[in-house]
Amino acid sequence: MAAKKAGPGSLKLAAVLDLNEASNLHGKLVSMRGSDLKIDASGVERVGVQCAQVLVAGVKAWEDDKKTFLVEKASDAFQKTMQLIGINHENLVAKEI
Amino acid sequence: MDMNEIKEIFFQECEEQLAELESGLLKLNDGDRDPETVNAVFRAVHSIKGGAGAFGLDDLVSFAHVFETTLDCVRSNKLEPTPDVLKVMLKSADVLADLVSASRDGGGVDESRSRGLVKELEALAHGELPSSSAHEAPKPAPKAAPAPAPVAKAETPKPTDDSGFQPIPFSFDGFGEDEEPAIEGSVYEVSFKPRRELYSKGNEAALLLRDLSRLGEMSINCDTDALPPLDKMDPEASYFGWKISIRTTKSEDDIRAVFEFAEWDCDLEVKLAEEASSDEELPMVPVPFDLSILDDSSGGEEEKGAEQGVSEETVAAAVSAAETASNVSRAARAVEKKESAAAAAAAQNNAAAAAAAAGQTIRVDLDRVDRLINLVGELVINQAMLSQSVIENDATGTSAVNMGLEELQQLTREIQDSVMAIRAQPVKPVFQRMSRIVREVADMVGKSIRLVTEGENTEVDKTVIDKIAEPLTHMIRNAVDHGIESPEKREAAGKDPEGTIKLTAKHRSGRILIELADDGAGINRERVRQKAIDNDIIAADANLSDDEIDNLIFMAGFSTADKISDISGRGVGMDVVKRSIQALGGRISISSRPGYGSTFTMSLPLTLAVLDGMVVTVAGQTLVVPLTAIVETLQPEAAAIHSFGANQRLISIRNSFCPLVDVGRVLNYRATQANPVEGVALLVESEGGGQRALMVDAIQGQRQVVIKSLEANYTHVPGIAAATILGDGRVALILDVDAVVAASRGQSMKPEMSLAATG
Repeated sequence: MAAKKAGPGSLKLAAVLDLNEASNLHGKLVSMRGSDLKIDASGVERVGVQCAQVLVAGVKAWEDDKKTFLVEKASDAFQKTMQLIGINHENLVAKEI
Repeated sequence: MDMNEIKEIFFQECEEQLAELESGLLKLNDGDRDPETVNAVFRAVHSIKGGAGAFGLDDLVSFAHVFETTLDCVRSNKLEPTPDVLKVMLKSADVLADLVSASRDGGGVDESRSRGLVKELEALAHGELPSSSAHEAPKPAPKAAPAPAPVAKAETPKPTDDSGFQPIPFSFDGFGEDEEPAIEGSVYEVSFKPRRELYSKGNEAALLLRDLSRLGEMSINCDTDALPPLDKMDPEASYFGWKISIRTTKSEDDIRAVFEFAEWDCDLEVKLAEEASSDEELPMVPVPFDLSILDDSSGGEEEKGAEQGVSEETVAAAVSAAETASNVSRAARAVEKKESAAAAAAAQNNAAAAAAAAGQTIRVDLDRVDRLINLVGELVINQAMLSQSVIENDATGTSAVNMGLEELQQLTREIQDSVMAIRAQPVKPVFQRMSRIVREVADMVGKSIRLVTEGENTEVDKTVIDKIAEPLTHMIRNAVDHGIESPEKREAAGKDPEGTIKLTAKHRSGRILIELADDGAGINRERVRQKAIDNDIIAADANLSDDEIDNLIFMAGFSTADKISDISGRGVGMDVVKRSIQALGGRISISSRPGYGSTFTMSLPLTLAVLDGMVVTVAGQTLVVPLTAIVETLQPEAAAIHSFGANQRLISIRNSFCPLVDVGRVLNYRATQANPVEGVALLVESEGGGQRALMVDAIQGQRQVVIKSLEANYTHVPGIAAATILGDGRVALILDVDAVVAASRGQSMKPEMSLAATG
C-alpha cells in the first residue's frame, strides 16, 4: 500500500510502514521537499525501523529547508513504536532534534 | 510468497540441515573434535527449531530444543562426545528427521521413542551419564555465585521457548522463584546495531526491541547520527543503532536469546552495567511497559502469539531462513539494486549482498529443469532431422552447410551434457539415509555394525537417486539382518564382532556403479539351492554353478530367512529389488564368498533421459538396442550356425555356443525365422550373466537417442523398453534386451517374469 497524498503539502501514511514501504515513503518525501508538510499518521498500524529512519531523515531535511514538518495526527501504534525504538516523538513534530 | 511456499522451503532446508546434522554427528563419532563440526551440528538443530517455531510445529520445536540444549553442552565442552553420547544424539537426529517428515506429510511419530530420548538427552545435559564429565550443568552452576546476578542466571527458559521444557530444572529453582518478585534484577547495557541484512531477511528491529522490552524495565537511546541526509539515504539500509539499558531479573543469555535469530546480522553487545548506571550520560527514553497494541498490529498469520513465545521474529527468522536460499537467485538483482540503490522501489526481500557471497547455488524447481531437458531432447532430434535432410539433398557433402551442421551437432551434444549435469546430484543424501537404517536395524537385531561409505559425491541423475533409495534400503536391511552374523558367531569365526557394511559409488564407463559389500557369512549356497528346489524354482537335479546359485536369490518368492522377521522378509524379496533396478535400466549382480561376505553390484545409467543406442533394422522396422547391453556384433557364417531342438539355434563363437535369438520372431514381426547368414548378430549380455546372440537384419548405425516413455504416451509393450524419435522424424522402439532374451527361452514376456530371469 502506498502512502497517499491527502492534499498539497500533506501526507497520509500507509497503514503498514514496513520494509516495502520504506522506499515508497522515501520517494514521496523527496518529491515533497521545499514546502511545509503535514503528516497524518492516524491510520498507521505498524511501523518498521526503516520507515522510522526515513521519517527522521525527513525531519532533518525539512529542518534544513526551514520548513515545518509536522505529524498532526498519530495512531497509538505509531506513537508507541516510536517510543519503543527510542525516537523522541518530538523529532517528528520538528521542534528539536 | 505465501505461507505454504515458505513452509515448503523450510522443509527443504530441514532436509539439508538434517543431512548436515547427521554427517556432523558421524564425523564426531569418528573422533572428529573440530569445534566447527560441533557448531555445524548445533546450528543445524537450531535452524530447524527456529523455523519450526515459526510454523507452530510444537512437537518439533520442543524436541529440537532439548536436543539443542544437550548439543550446547557439547559445544561448550561441558559434555564429552563419547560414543555413548553420540549414540543418543544419532538416535535423536533420527527422531528429529521423523518429526520433520511427520510435520510435512502428517502421520505420527513413535511418541514413546521420542519421549525416551528426551529423557536421555536431558540426562546428558545434566551430566547424568556415567561417561560424561561429572556433574556439570548446562548453565553456570549457581552455588558459588552471590546475590542478584546468579539468580538472574538461574532463571530458566529462553524467551523463544514455549515448549515447557526447562533446560535447568534444578533443585534451586524454588530458590530462584523466591527471589523473583523483587523486581531488583540487574542492569544490563545492550548496544544493538542492525546491519542491512537483518532487514532484508525480514527481521524487524522494532520487534526485537519490543521483545527485549518485555524482559524488564528498559530505557533506550536511538543513535541517529549515522543517518545521511534524506536525498542521500537508501531507504532500505540500516542507519539506526541503539543503546539500551535494561533492568531485568533475566540473565545475559536471556537477553541474547532475544536476538538469537538476528545475531549474525547485527552488532550486539550485552554487558552487565556498573552499579548506579541508571544515571546515563545518554538521554534515555523510558519505554512503556504496555506494548500490547503492537502485538495486535504486528500481524503474523500462523502463530498463536504465545506470550514470550513463538512470535513474529521467529516467523521472520523462518522467512529469512527460507529466503536466504531463494535470495541467492535474486543475487543478480541485488547487485543491480546496489548500483541504483536510491531508485530501487517497492521490491521486497531484496537480497543482501552477503547472501550472494555466501552461496553459489540456486534452487530451481525440478519442473523447469525437466522442461529444459525435454526441449534439449527436441533440439537433438531436430538437429538430427535437419542434418539428415541436408545430407539427402546435398550429395556433394562438402558445402559449408555440412560444416555448420557438424558444429551444430557438437554444440547440441554439449548443451545436452550440460543440461544433464544440472540434474546430476551426488548420491550422498541417499547414502546418509542408509546409515540411519543400518543403525536402527542393527539395534533391533542386536548386532553391531558400521557402515562405511565411499564415493558419496558421485553424481547421478536426480531421478535415479530418488528411485535407488528404496531398493538400496531393502538391500541394506537384508545385509544387516541376514548378511552380517551375530557378534557371538563373528567372534567364534575369528572376526571382529563389529560387522562392516561398505557402500561404494563410482562412475564406470558412463554408468554409475553402486556396490554394497558386507563382511558377513556370505550366501549359504546349500540352503539357497535347497530352497530353490523346495519352491520349484529349479529342478532337484539341476547342475548350477556357484554364481548361478547366488543369483537364485533374485528369483520371485525367494527368501532364505528361516523365520519372517520384522526387518526383512516382509514378503518382498530381492526380486523386487532387481525389478526396481531394472526399471531404472540398471543391472544387479551378486558375488559371494562363504565366510567372507557378499557383494551386490548395481550398475545404473547416469541418466534416464538419453541413451546411446545401436539403430538396427528388423523385418523392415527400425529398433534401437541400448549400447550398454551389446558386447560385440558379428556377421554369422553358415558354418557357425547349429540347429538345436525343433527351432532353437546356436551360434558358435570362438569355440563356445551361444543361443541365437531372432528378434523379429520374438516380437512377432515375422512368422518364420530369418536366415541368420543374411543378418547380423548382436552379442548381448543378459542379466543372468549369460550371453545371447540377437539376430537383426542390418545395423544402421550408432547414435544417441532421446528416450520417450512408451508408458506415458501409449502403453507398455512387452519386449520394448521405450521409444525415441529418429532423425527422419519416425518413431523407433528401444529394445528391452532382457525381456527379449527371456522370451526367447519360452518365458512369457510379462515384465515381472522377464525381470526375474536368471542364468
